[in-house]
Amino acid sequence: MQKTVSLTVNGKPATATVEGRTLLVQLLRETLGLTGTHVGCDTSQCGACVVHVDGEAVKSCTLLAVQAEGRDVKTIEGVANGDDLHPMQEAFRDNHALQCGFCTPGMIMSALDLVKNNPDPSEREIREYLEGNLCRCTGYHNIVLAIKAGAEAMRGSKAAAE
Amino acid sequence: MTPFELVEPASLGEALALLDPDDPAVRPIGGGTALMLMMKAGFFEPRRLVSLRGLGPGITGINEGADGALDIGAMVRLGQLERSPVIRRAAPVIAETLVTHSNVRVRNVATIGGNLAHGDPHMDLPPVLIALGAEVVAASPSGERRIAVENLVESYLETALGGDELITSLHIPSQRNRRAAYIKVTARSADDWPALGVAVSLAVENRAIRAPRIAIGAATETAMRLPKAEAALTGGASWRDTGREAAAEAPVIGDHHGSAAYKRVLVGVTVERALRRALAGVEIAG
Repeated sequence: MQKTVSLTVNGKPATATVEGRTLLVQLLRETLGLTGTHVGCDTSQCGACVVHVDGEAVKSCTLLAVQAEGRDVKTIEGVANGDDLHPMQEAFRDNHALQCGFCTPGMIMSALDLVKNNPDPSEREIREYLEGNLCRCTGYHNIVLAIKAGAEAMRGSKAAAE
Repeated sequence: MTPFELVEPASLGEALALLDPDDPAVRPIGGGTALMLMMKAGFFEPRRLVSLRGLGPGITGINEGADGALDIGAMVRLGQLERSPVIRRAAPVIAETLVTHSNVRVRNVATIGGNLAHGDPHMDLPPVLIALGAEVVAASPSGERRIAVENLVESYLETALGGDELITSLHIPSQRNRRAAYIKVTARSADDWPALGVAVSLAVENRAIRAPRIAIGAATETAMRLPKAEAALTGGASWRDTGREAAAEAPVIGDHHGSAAYKRVLVGVTVERALRRALAGVEIAG
């Protein structure tokens, strides 16, 4: 059964014809070509597929595309400003918070969701928040450092803008 | 996942008409976080899913009555409950429980109605809601009824809901003057599913415990109250003896989170700890 879905992706309107069973991540990757959002476990464990829907982090492999009808979706492709990396992306690079990089888009989308609600998270809060985002390379330590540094940079750029 | 029809009715009446009491392959879908995993595993192959997303504000609100009772729409997401100032004030044990329930990204999608209708015994909220005396409001073409959460789940993944019945809201009686605590025990890692969950709720009057409710989940076929342990506590038993009574009474079963013998020991220890946590800083006579 085909359905038409209209939503906003990274600030731009998008319309696609999908099946009832089409997952949001399939719509993003296969129909819209936004392959920055990854599929790791496909069972809600790993967090590689995290995107924002109406400003909240969700796992796009466990959400039907139809459930995103009329909603505002943000993927890793919508985070940088043109060629200028977002401060959180910079922080991941500067802190060596990735090795193979497979989990990184989900990590960054989760980190941005955390910092939005908690601009100055403690190391413990970061670690607790990352439950459900798996990394098989780094041992998490540098990811935690990067999120702390990214949050600090975001507070700085917010203060500079005010 | 096998193909299915996904319908998005705009009213409760329309939704109920789309359900089919004779076809278990027709089901309502809330956030879909649990259903989707069952569908991906091939465990559930729906013919039609009835999305409750378009049912409107009657099913998405959190309301506190003048007496402190709470009415929570079935489509309220677990993350909303966790962050709600009303819940944090009126029933803080719910917000505390949700922090270790699954993870943030799943809680942002999963709904309270779906969580309860799923009927999985390894869930944190059923024992908590049983301890709080909560009821679900269920609607079907023949009308509306209330079902105590302790009577909602009948066996593994089986609920008392009819095939054309769905949960529309959750009612929690006023918790004013009551204290509650929930302890989740995980056997393998901190973020594991519970091997046992123990929730207690009680009032303290004149330095005596009144109307205690003790409920466990994840160690029995369904979440349930432990009335003998409650009676022992009301009768003045120590927290440790109340735990012993609970361990003797609970029809514990083993699973891959722990054997029945292991879980029985956990029940005794954890009931005692849950009482200690709920009563921290309170003076009790005797």
